Amino acid sequence: MKTPNAATGCPPGFDSLQQAAEWFALLRSDTVSDEDHRAWQHWLGSSAEHREAWQRMETIGRRFSSLANVDGEGAASTLRTLRRERASRRRVLNTLVLAGGGTLLGWNLWRQQEWPQALITGLRADFSTGVGEIRELTLDDGTRLWLNTASAVDVALGSDSRQLWLHQGELLIDTAADPRPFVVHTRHGSLRPLGTRFAVRQERDASWLAVYEGRVSISAGTQERILPAGSKTRFSTTTIATPRATDENGVDWSRGVLRADNMRLDALLLQLGRYRHGHLGVAPEVASLRVMGSFPLQDTDLALDMLESALPVRVRRTLPWWVSIMAREPE
Amino acid sequence: MNPPSGNSSIETLYEEHQPWLLGWLRRRLGCGETAADLAQDTFVRLLARPRELDGARNVRSYLGTIAKGLCIDHWRRRRLEQVWLETLAAQPEAVALSPEHHALVLETLAEVEAMLRQLPPKVADAFLMAQLQGMRYAAIATALDVSERMVKKYMARALLHCALFEASLEESTRRSS
Repeated sequence: MKTPNAATGCPPGFDSLQQAAEWFALLRSDTVSDEDHRAWQHWLGSSAEHREAWQRMETIGRRFSSLANVDGEGAASTLRTLRRERASRRRVLNTLVLAGGGTLLGWNLWRQQEWPQALITGLRADFSTGVGEIRELTLDDGTRLWLNTASAVDVALGSDSRQLWLHQGELLIDTAADPRPFVVHTRHGSLRPLGTRFAVRQERDASWLAVYEGRVSISAGTQERILPAGSKTRFSTTTIATPRATDENGVDWSRGVLRADNMRLDALLLQLGRYRHGHLGVAPEVASLRVMGSFPLQDTDLALDMLESALPVRVRRTLPWWVSIMAREPE
Repeated sequence: MNPPSGNSSIETLYEEHQPWLLGWLRRRLGCGETAADLAQDTFVRLLARPRELDGARNVRSYLGTIAKGLCIDHWRRRRLEQVWLETLAAQPEAVALSPEHHALVLETLAEVEAMLRQLPPKVADAFLMAQLQGMRYAAIATALDVSERMVKKYMARALLHCALFEASLEESTRRSS
């Protein structure tokens, strides 16, 4: 039963609660002297606020003993399990676990994603994804394609060639062995993979190529270049930039994941913004926060929830398509 | 601010936004029945705090915020119940509880879980060992590989934390009533 502090009608102050907690911890200890008891009695008798604070400790204690009376070991084990799960969920926030087959584990809020897998049998087909959509396709030569958000591609599998036209967006391609040559066209040039896995993204003024396995030959304008695995470059109709190193993180999107390794919050939001409609703003005071972790691309609302629980930020949804990330007010 | 017409405007809100909210919850929960329950609960909350709703412009984001909190509570509570039942089932001598008692235990477990949630692992562990498992400080010290003095500190810290947590709950109840 709670009785308000007689002196002030308010809950006891912080100091009284702290003292009460210390007394409780002392009296519960293995060795309590008579002197300790007398000192505690004295403290208790010296003010109504102390008595109120002490009562609160006893109320808390009773709550635990009611559990201990039913099954203390079971209750403790239950609470430990939940804590462990929370801790691992927090780790999941930091590194979403990718198990074999690309299944995402762990996060309670994670919903099983639907990754439509279409088997393409036609000779020519057009595929596209909307904003926030990631699609996996298998062509009938066995080549696998992943279309990133807001992408469009035409596919033509002929008797003597296999050709893809990337009209917009980004593709990850895992080519199947086949005697017919494989060509990917972008507005800026053509790519000829030599038994390989690579990604290509088209932007307004240039295209990007990243090679993960094998080699890819680029021809853009009058230039030609062969890019080996582990490198990426940017090419336009006039130039092919000097290649730079790349790693597999670049194609996490094909598994529906955006991985941040010490990424600035504003850079991360820029990426997430590609997968959702509308405005995704960030307040300058939190823009440079560093983010570690993996975020689901096909549920950007969940990704924002995750950011909110991992960083001192608040997600303000003024309207469904107007979202701002602000500093969280101190509690 | 909240004239008698407040409830009827909530009715309008309900008609306008309930289908949307239901769809939103169903997508998140993957279960129509629970979604319907939580959609209902969301509007009940809204009814209890109409003054926080300033104009219809951000109704959906406000509903979404309430519903999100309810979803998280729902998941947490469901998982708690699962783990507790599994723990009981794993014991050779099952503890027989009446349904009422069972509900009461779950309620207490949930409260206690919330109280200890923010504590560092060792502090929470020491507290569980002392209060639920009846261990002496010396045994806890050995188990956690710290001094007895430290165990006493952990205990005081956990208690203070629980008391502050309770006080903050009282405060928020007082404010919303």
